[in-house]
Amino acid sequence: MAISLATQAATDALALNRAPTSVGAQEVHKWMQDFNWDFKNNRTKYPTKYTMANDTKEQFKLIAKEYARMESVKDERQFGSLQDALTRMNAGNRVAPKWGETMKVVSNFLEVGEYNAIAASAMLWDSASSPEQKNGYLGQVMDEIRHTHQTGYVNYYFSKYFHDPAGHTDARRVRTLGPLWKGMKRVFADGFISGDAVECSINLQLVGEACFTNPLIVAVTEWASANGDEITPTVFLSIETDELRHMANGYQTVVSIANDPAAAKYLNTDLNNAFWTQQKYFTPVLGMLFEYGSKYKVEPWVKTWNRWVYEDWGGIWIGRLGKYGVQSPASLKDAKKDAYWAHHDLFLLAYAVWPTGFFRLALPSKEDADWFEANYPGWYDHYGKIYEEWRARGCEDPSSGFIPLQWFVENNHEIYIDRVSQVPFCPSLTKGASSLRIHEYNGKKHAFSDEWGERMWLSEPERYECQNVFEQYAGRELSEVVEELWGVRSDGVTLIGQPHVTKDGKLWTLDDIKRINCVFKDPLA
Amino acid sequence: MTTVNNNAYDAGTNSLSGKEFADEYFKEENQVVKESNTVVLVLKKSDEMDYIVDEMLEKIFKKENPSLVIEDRGGYWWLKADGKIEIDCEYASEILGKPYSVYDLLVDVTSTVGRAYTLGETFTITSELMGLDVKLQDVEQGEGK
Repeated sequence: MAISLATQAATDALALNRAPTSVGAQEVHKWMQDFNWDFKNNRTKYPTKYTMANDTKEQFKLIAKEYARMESVKDERQFGSLQDALTRMNAGNRVAPKWGETMKVVSNFLEVGEYNAIAASAMLWDSASSPEQKNGYLGQVMDEIRHTHQTGYVNYYFSKYFHDPAGHTDARRVRTLGPLWKGMKRVFADGFISGDAVECSINLQLVGEACFTNPLIVAVTEWASANGDEITPTVFLSIETDELRHMANGYQTVVSIANDPAAAKYLNTDLNNAFWTQQKYFTPVLGMLFEYGSKYKVEPWVKTWNRWVYEDWGGIWIGRLGKYGVQSPASLKDAKKDAYWAHHDLFLLAYAVWPTGFFRLALPSKEDADWFEANYPGWYDHYGKIYEEWRARGCEDPSSGFIPLQWFVENNHEIYIDRVSQVPFCPSLTKGASSLRIHEYNGKKHAFSDEWGERMWLSEPERYECQNVFEQYAGRELSEVVEELWGVRSDGVTLIGQPHVTKDGKLWTLDDIKRINCVFKDPLA
Repeated sequence: MTTVNNNAYDAGTNSLSGKEFADEYFKEENQVVKESNTVVLVLKKSDEMDYIVDEMLEKIFKKENPSLVIEDRGGYWWLKADGKIEIDCEYASEILGKPYSVYDLLVDVTSTVGRAYTLGETFTITSELMGLDVKLQDVEQGEGK
């Protein structure tokens, strides 16, 4: 059959230049820049004071097909290990009791961070105009959904196999009870999704992820393994395989604004605020969970912090950007002091209010005390003696009628909560970088523990109106609050939180707490 | 006398303990960040990654860049080097005896401190400021798999 001239021409052309039978992933990625155009106005719902360049590149060149294949392999490996090998090895019952309690907090609180990071990276997708940059943020949205499931699964897995599941089983219901919750919301929620979009990227990606996920998600796996927990490394190391792309997203956010005059004006202040916001919570909380929540110690928390935060994040990320005007955070000196002492300050307070926890805590043993003194000279005289006094007064035994919060009242050691970070502090006992300052605004008093948070509040007081737990519970008796906010086990009377982790130790009930008649009081009222 | 490589996990201030550590850590000169030309890579242990660490990074790449330190930290390998660390996945595929792309490698790359990127079948982490001092490249036509 005769063919037309046009068909013949097309056939000849194809014979000379064969149509590709497949196209490589990175070639597809290269075409993404073709979707770019110059916007007259960036019509994002989430504006920023910076101008993000519209030719910013993406470092990992991912397209949906390769992304989906990669993530599915990660999930197959992770869930395969958990549901097959680790279950057969009875992994949940090999975990040191103290560490199993620590994971009630770590995994559940991280779930909140991952959940908020979904919104944060979606917001950045809307704010950016470069197609490659948007692609990087979009991949992150999907990662964060995966991580929310993964962290929830850790609590689920522990709730099935750990010897004391209370807390793992209902962390989402009870987690708001204690004073650690609101500070966590400040870093993991407000810091990631409120305010200027680029400032959120600096909080989430440049500081939260590039800096603090290394101790929180990588170093934690070493502590977990040392304490018999192979569940956490299986999940957390898989989570972190996505984080490197998020770190790259944060760096590319900075690249995208590097030539904007606004960067010279605002970037260092935003970086310092983000660094202080994130460190103010993560530094004491992670240090406390690692050192006081483990039986077997890997290394002093201050060394972990010095390596991952100061030397590597500081030197390799921030230091290298020096020639583009990025400065060492002004709050670094105070942060370093916190990294040495603030987790010891926080544990003193956390243990004092143990009935408000959804996890069990334990006083440092003699072996722990020796380790603390060797690594933090001066620890025993400042903290160790207090724990000895509490132990001598029977703080672990329900029949003693003593919880350490009473000791603070008896000795006039007032506990305040910093308005900006929501982290509790005791000015008369702190060795970290905290000192009391009080301001009055709109007829309400606000306490602050440091000049960095105070400065943030002074410039935007309406942003930090979160009611703290002392204001929230003022005048309420402790056992009533614990019961109302689901702080009891399935028998309806035994507290989830306990001041010891011994399997045969007596467990405190609501009646034991009620007998003490401890009533919350707002120190600023 | 043993010398500790500057890039070791416990090098520098972290090699000290107790009061000596505190004295160094709180020194005035150590209260600001110091620019570093190093990179850190964290690789999750797996069938493939253990092989890549032993056969490629330890035996071959270390000859090119002797500053490379590889340490076993339980669930992961921790690596630090001056300048850059590079993994060629075409070669990894040969030694593993199966198809292995740069995206297969990313399944087990757990963390990075430095600018990491892919180009074709090569994964690189560098101390260079990619996108600022050095342009991020795209693959040539027909190169990317």
